[in-house]
Amino acid sequence: MDGAATLSRRRPPGAAEPRLGRDVVLRAQLRHDEPRALERLRAALGFEPLDLVLLFATPDADPATLAREAARVFGDTPVMGCTTAGEIGTGGYDEGQIVAVGLPRRHFRSAVMAMEGVSALDPREVAERVGRVRTGLAAASPERPEAFAFLLVDGLSAAEDRVAGAVAAALGGPAGMPLLGGSAADGARYRRTFVLHGGRASADAALLALVRTDCPVRVFQTDHLVPTETRMVVTGADPSRRIVTEINAEPAAREYARLLGRAPEDLTPFAFAAHPLVVRVGGRHHVRAIQRMEGDALRFFGAIDEGLVLTLARTGDMAAHLSASLEALSRDGAPDVILACDCTLRRIEAEGRQLGGALGALLARYRAVGFSTYGEQRGALHVNQTLTGVAIYPPPGAA
Amino acid sequence: MSERRLRADPAPGAAQTRPPEPRLALDPAEPAERRVEKLLRINAALIRRVEHGTDEGAYALFERAATLEEEVRARTRDLGQAVDLLNEANARLEAAGRETEAARADLAGAIEAVREGFALFDAGDRLVLCNARFGRDLPDLRPLLRPGLAFGDYVRAVSCSPHLALGAEPAEIWAARRLRAHASGHADFNVPLAGERWLQVSERRTATGGTVVLQTDVTDILRMERAERDRLLSDQARTLRATLDHLAQGVLSFDERARLVGWNRHAAGLLALPAGTLRHGEDLGRIAEALGPVAEPLRAWIAGGPGRGTLSTEIGRSGRWIAVTAQTMPSGFLVAATDVTAERERLGAIREVNETLERRVRDRTIELEDALAVAERALATKSRFVAAASHDLLQPLSAAKLYLGSLDFATDDPRTAIAAKAAGAMESVEAMLDALLHIGRLDSGRSQMHVEEVALGPLLRRLRDEFAPSAEAKGLALRVVPSSVVVRSDATYLRRILQNLLANAVRYTDGGGVLVGVRRAGAGVRVEVIDTGPGIDESDLGTVFEEFRRLRSTGEGMGLGLAIVERACGLLGHPLEVASEPGRGSRFTVGLPLAAARRPLVLLVGAGAGDPARLEAVGCDVIEAADASEAEALMGQLGVSPDLALTGCPVAARRLAPLPCAPLPEPVTRAAVERIARPED
Repeated sequence: MDGAATLSRRRPPGAAEPRLGRDVVLRAQLRHDEPRALERLRAALGFEPLDLVLLFATPDADPATLAREAARVFGDTPVMGCTTAGEIGTGGYDEGQIVAVGLPRRHFRSAVMAMEGVSALDPREVAERVGRVRTGLAAASPERPEAFAFLLVDGLSAAEDRVAGAVAAALGGPAGMPLLGGSAADGARYRRTFVLHGGRASADAALLALVRTDCPVRVFQTDHLVPTETRMVVTGADPSRRIVTEINAEPAAREYARLLGRAPEDLTPFAFAAHPLVVRVGGRHHVRAIQRMEGDALRFFGAIDEGLVLTLARTGDMAAHLSASLEALSRDGAPDVILACDCTLRRIEAEGRQLGGALGALLARYRAVGFSTYGEQRGALHVNQTLTGVAIYPPPGAA
Repeated sequence: MSERRLRADPAPGAAQTRPPEPRLALDPAEPAERRVEKLLRINAALIRRVEHGTDEGAYALFERAATLEEEVRARTRDLGQAVDLLNEANARLEAAGRETEAARADLAGAIEAVREGFALFDAGDRLVLCNARFGRDLPDLRPLLRPGLAFGDYVRAVSCSPHLALGAEPAEIWAARRLRAHASGHADFNVPLAGERWLQVSERRTATGGTVVLQTDVTDILRMERAERDRLLSDQARTLRATLDHLAQGVLSFDERARLVGWNRHAAGLLALPAGTLRHGEDLGRIAEALGPVAEPLRAWIAGGPGRGTLSTEIGRSGRWIAVTAQTMPSGFLVAATDVTAERERLGAIREVNETLERRVRDRTIELEDALAVAERALATKSRFVAAASHDLLQPLSAAKLYLGSLDFATDDPRTAIAAKAAGAMESVEAMLDALLHIGRLDSGRSQMHVEEVALGPLLRRLRDEFAPSAEAKGLALRVVPSSVVVRSDATYLRRILQNLLANAVRYTDGGGVLVGVRRAGAGVRVEVIDTGPGIDESDLGTVFEEFRRLRSTGEGMGLGLAIVERACGLLGHPLEVASEPGRGSRFTVGLPLAAARRPLVLLVGAGAGDPARLEAVGCDVIEAADASEAEALMGQLGVSPDLALTGCPVAARRLAPLPCAPLPEPVTRAAVERIARPED
């Protein structure tokens, strides 16, 4: 990595400092409005042959331009990226950045599969394609025993459940290749989200990377919610748009606000983050996070339906919980990198509680890189308000 | 896996300890009718959900996925383990398969690489495999050599092959022989092939009952062996020829028809054969004519046939002697001639020397015999003279002693002392003469030694009594250790030997003491006389036994004592030793043989004195008498003196004393009896 080291000495102002030494996963970041940002990111990743580049880009950058540039700059190396609700990088909770992650060929083999029109997805067709890609990759890299699948999906498509379900089934279900992913985001605007691949930025689309590596990996998901005894029943909903119109036979927003003891006009994003709703399925609680208020109705990040019993939850000590979770991941050795899909609600809550800096510092210290999402996928499940990721450890025998 | 751990305590799914009581919190401020209406609508929504909820829609998908996730998660670990096991088993199976395949390939390669022909038949005698070299020398067999070929068919095909050179043996016979060898499980034989080639065939059973057949082309080996043998033979012949030519002998070798087949360089010269006589195939007859005097015995010997022995004769011719020997050989016979002139001359010289020596020895022996006779006569005369002189001198000396003893002076008469001194001097002379007489007798061999059993106990006791006063007078401690042993010696001379040794010891010891003791030594005993006298210098040890040798003048003794001891010991065969340390003392040792253990003779007196059978059983001889007078009569009649008497009667015991008497000891043992017989033990 002398190349990277040499390069870092001539690093242009504003370029994120590439990490030196024996990094397995390469990373670099730069403000999106820096000139020739992608070329400089390419240079900062060094000259080691890469198998896959992940890009997490602020929605402030033009996604189409970014996708085109990325394809030009990285040439034959596949690029897979998305827009974000904030980036996770060397500064912890970063903003306005383009974060690049390079998986070097030395340790990784991957195959990227693009899915267009996910709102009308044919699960069978997806499953077949995933199966083919998976088999091909396994045959091409038998010497890389560890594997995970990384999904990026349009966060406003309302199709995350379908995509995750189809992909997870093709990967062998919960016993198969571990699947994790994040929903592309659009900051706090909730207008359009994009996935970036093959020189194009696509909406209503998803990207799946199957990755095999000789580095030990560990896929994880963590949240900090505690359910309360308060229940409510959805009595009116538009499931296709994930909109709940009535709760307890009252306008949804009003009833939710009443149960929180607030006025409906006080329902800020922070309130949604601090008072999440969960459903109990299969002996576990799963978060049904509220995206925003639409009139008297509430729009959710995940699938809802009439007749659902929602449980009001409260949040625990975020910082302590995150610290414990990351520490647990480092128990048998520090990860080289943690590829993180962190729910935007967590960032909202943290910032609302003045914990943004502390949590960001924790993430940076544990070498997390990734983005703030509109939802996280873990296996076939699409959920919210979690930190979902994969920890990648140095390969056995590495110093 | 990991997320489960990470979902620890604060996670909703893990809040299982005590789930909070569910509470549907409707607004309590509302009128009851409104709340009822709401509850009805909630109820309807729940019912719809329950009835249709899982049919379709995004949430249904989520719910199914979550349920499935949970169920599968529960089984994932088991499944994972099963898969791991399966994978491991598969990997092992694969590895085993690869190994087997590799082993098979290795084996095939190895077999093909072997230089011999190799074939393996299974336990059912079917061909399993063979390499390309197998059967190469029998090309007509090649098409047959396929797996499954029966061993019998193989052998029959071999036996009929035109490439086999069986000679006179019919193919069926050879095949039968071959199959027998195969049945024995172990075959090693050579097969002749056409074109002077040979094949060595080895057969071995494998552990699984199969048969391995190895074919090795040994033609080259056999040819090399043959060439080597020929070369060796020709080498040997040359060596033999050279050896024969270097022999000093002349050698002629004939075949069984008495025709000359070989000879060496010296043969013609030694046998004085005219040149040209020795020719290959020449008949012995013509050679014998040239041999002259030997011809006749040689012809006679040849006529003796194969059973004849070895002929040995000599020819003397113009001062030289030639020994001629003839002996049978495996194919004919051999005539050897040796020039023995030198040996004969040497033998003659030796014979002459021997004769001279013998004559000289004879002459010298006669001279010595004469000298010996003269010396013996002189010695005898001397001894007779000494004895006669001693004897003759003793007569007047005795008379003088008598006269001296008859003098009767008054006590205060000064002549009394003179007379006593004269008597003392005469006693000394008498003792000296007595000793001389003894020495003379001992030297002349006229002393008769009566070797008998001598009990040392009484002898030593008497010696102690005898020397106690003189020892006491000198202030010496005289100690004689009692002994019960019985030795074989002459009682008189033994007493004299010990007397003289003791007398010397007492005489020459000025302080300390004298000890006499007996100790066992092997089959005999050693009587030791030890003193604390001045000792004898090492240089004098060799001469102490010479006559008139006195190492110290003490005014006593004549120096004849030890001379008598030595001579008597010599005649009795008692080893005599002296050891001494000047200033510390001397030790004289006389070795004596032990008397053979004798069965004690027991006299049983009086009825009930004891059971003679019991005494005999413990090794005693027994004579019985009714009372003391019968016992005395019996002893007189039998001329025996028992070792002891056993009697319960005190009167008889008194009467029979000094015979040791006692009641029958109990228990009856040989040792108990002997203790009674020798009470001094």
